[in-house]
Amino acid sequence: MPREVALADALVPGLLLIYLGCLLVLWGIDTLIGRYGLYRYVWHPSLFRVAVFFVLFGAAGLLLYP
Amino acid sequence: MSAVPTDISSWRHPPWLRDFAAEESQAWIFVAKSLVAFYLAAWLTMVFQLEQPATTMITVAIVMHPQSGTVLAKSFYRALGTCTGSLFGVLLMAAFPQQRELFLLSLSIWVALCAGGAVLYRNFMSYGFVLAGYTAFIVVLPAIDHPTAVFDSAVGRVSEVMLGIIVSGLVSDVILPVRLREVLRRISREHYQHFIDFARGSLGGAIPREDMEKAHLRFVRAAVQIEDLRSSVIFEDPEVRARSSRMQLLNLRYMAAATSFQSLHHLINRLQRSNHPRTAAALIKLYGPIGTALSPDPSEKPMPRLLATRIEACEAELPVLAAKLREDLRQDPNLLLEFDSGTTLVRRFAAELRDFTSLEATLRETQGVVGGTVERVDFKRANDYASPLIAIVRTFLTMATLSVFWIETGWTFGLSALLLATVFSGLLATSPMPVLATANTWVAYAIGLVAAYFVVFELMPGSDGFVMLILVTAPLLALGPYLTTRNATLPGVGAGYSLGFVYILALKNPMVYAPDRFLNDSIAALFGLMMSGAAFMIIPTVIGTQWLRRRQLVQLRRQVVFAATAPMDGILYRFESVNRDLYQQIVQFTRQGSEESRVLFSWALAVHDSGRAVIELRQDMLHTGLPPPVREAMQYAVDALAQLYDAPDKARWMAADGAVDQAITLTTQTLPQARASCQPALADLLLLRTALRDDESALAPYIVKAPEIAHAP
Repeated sequence: MPREVALADALVPGLLLIYLGCLLVLWGIDTLIGRYGLYRYVWHPSLFRVAVFFVLFGAAGLLLYP
Repeated sequence: MSAVPTDISSWRHPPWLRDFAAEESQAWIFVAKSLVAFYLAAWLTMVFQLEQPATTMITVAIVMHPQSGTVLAKSFYRALGTCTGSLFGVLLMAAFPQQRELFLLSLSIWVALCAGGAVLYRNFMSYGFVLAGYTAFIVVLPAIDHPTAVFDSAVGRVSEVMLGIIVSGLVSDVILPVRLREVLRRISREHYQHFIDFARGSLGGAIPREDMEKAHLRFVRAAVQIEDLRSSVIFEDPEVRARSSRMQLLNLRYMAAATSFQSLHHLINRLQRSNHPRTAAALIKLYGPIGTALSPDPSEKPMPRLLATRIEACEAELPVLAAKLREDLRQDPNLLLEFDSGTTLVRRFAAELRDFTSLEATLRETQGVVGGTVERVDFKRANDYASPLIAIVRTFLTMATLSVFWIETGWTFGLSALLLATVFSGLLATSPMPVLATANTWVAYAIGLVAAYFVVFELMPGSDGFVMLILVTAPLLALGPYLTTRNATLPGVGAGYSLGFVYILALKNPMVYAPDRFLNDSIAALFGLMMSGAAFMIIPTVIGTQWLRRRQLVQLRRQVVFAATAPMDGILYRFESVNRDLYQQIVQFTRQGSEESRVLFSWALAVHDSGRAVIELRQDMLHTGLPPPVREAMQYAVDALAQLYDAPDKARWMAADGAVDQAITLTTQTLPQARASCQPALADLLLLRTALRDDESALAPYIVKAPEIAHAP
């Protein structure tokens, strides 16, 4: 994965795109969990959500930029 | 703790102290959260090596809000506003790099439009508009002398603003969050209970007008409040998001049932007044089974599901009971007609109550997503375009004046004045007393400046490192969020203090010691703020004025025109929601129990009554079995009513009354041939006629006592 991506001739950091992608994935997971009401089993839903995001973003970032 | 005698423990915790402690602890939690957000934002900005931690902190100061429950919900719109604003800033810089007049003119227009948007939309969307104006400004601000650097500047500023938004959203969502979802659940159950109790307790049919007015106000508030909460909670809670359309439907059913209930009561009251006590008594008897259905044995828990089944059972009894009661009234055909229209109303109310309780039961019994799809309904807001327009003009004039002043004088710090005017003309435009709020903000801003002066030039030179920075700034910075929690009594003070403090603190890495900049900046900022206050004096706000209220009352009246002419698709929800939103907006500024509020209430009742009946009538007119001449007469009546409510006067009242009467006569004649199609329409027409001839309604001054209505006893 290139460190910078040219979007309409503007150089955008690749990590930013990954960040946005992770937000999308998080939104999907969030909706899915909410649909089936699984947040009842979680102590602090928003902390859980943030943690999931960190896991996603960390994993994607570390895997794509070794 | 049983060793402690109870009287002593109650002495040690008197109720006022408990309330005080609860309130204070909420306030201090907010202060702690704000401080965490401020320092986390500043620290991250420094870690990411962005240029101005001050921008991040200013954004946090604008965004953090105690009532908000979740700032995360609002962050969505704020991020949108930021992106739009910065994009516009860059575009503007690219379009006019050399022409400062055109540049400032366009910027003024943009900021003015954003301020107008902030007034037009309520709640969290309004903040998005404020931020769109603010970001556009802050992006071009440092680049104004070096147009080539605008892109880098834009990237830096957007990163800082976004960081501020994200950090404040995260902090308020994760640290001791106020769960709006719980609030929504509690409030909607309270309103449900209140409505059921009210419907159960008012069997007698004689509710004093003041009580009815209070109840109406409460129903209206409930509907608007639930919708407000729902639209925020869907961002916070995916479970609520999955159930959102059902909750909207529940709100619709609530509103519909409340309207029918009020119409029914109105009808009974009217009948009692106009010497039809027998009809009224018969209707009250007919209402009896519903009241019984709503009051199950105390041994059984009054769950919504139980009520729904009981109401369904009682619905089957109603036609039989109605037929029996009708027998007793047989002597007088006029009484019979009134009774028939009342019967329709009772049955409509029962059906709506059943729908309402069964949906409430479904929502309570299931967790997570509910299967199947429901009709999509949307809560429409009633917007008046006068106040946003005035805000646009006012902001434009402020910005233009400041720009001209800046260009003409070549004042180096004119930008600071412009920036402050941008932020506050958006933030304060929604306030009903903007001049007072600006004055408060101005004083608080000045105090914030002094506090920041003390910190920056006395304490900070002796400190070193981030921990020292926190220790040095926190005590005086904490005052700002604390004052924000006192916004009800001191409007604008908290925001002014925080902004003034953070603005002068102007955290940079490394910090610079520049007392001259402090003086220049403070003078400019206070000048800008004063200008926006002066603009509020020159072009006063219309929010809460008599003029706007009268305008909104006209708008409320025209809701009947809407009911008569709008396309039928989804008309009921739009009608009910706009009515309530409008009423809520007007009633905010009227004193309870005053003449004005009485007039408003009677108009609201008349509009609810007639509008709903018109909608039902139009629905019945879609029936294919209706003979064309009858339908024409009905359409004529609907049009005449629309004209009457558009601009009421005696001639139009006569026309409407005549048209409705004509339609009734025609329908009664056709009734034997086409009973299925005519019966429901006839009931609606009768309702419309009684509403028209009601001598205590808002239409009373226009009623002409013509000799031909002698047949009405």
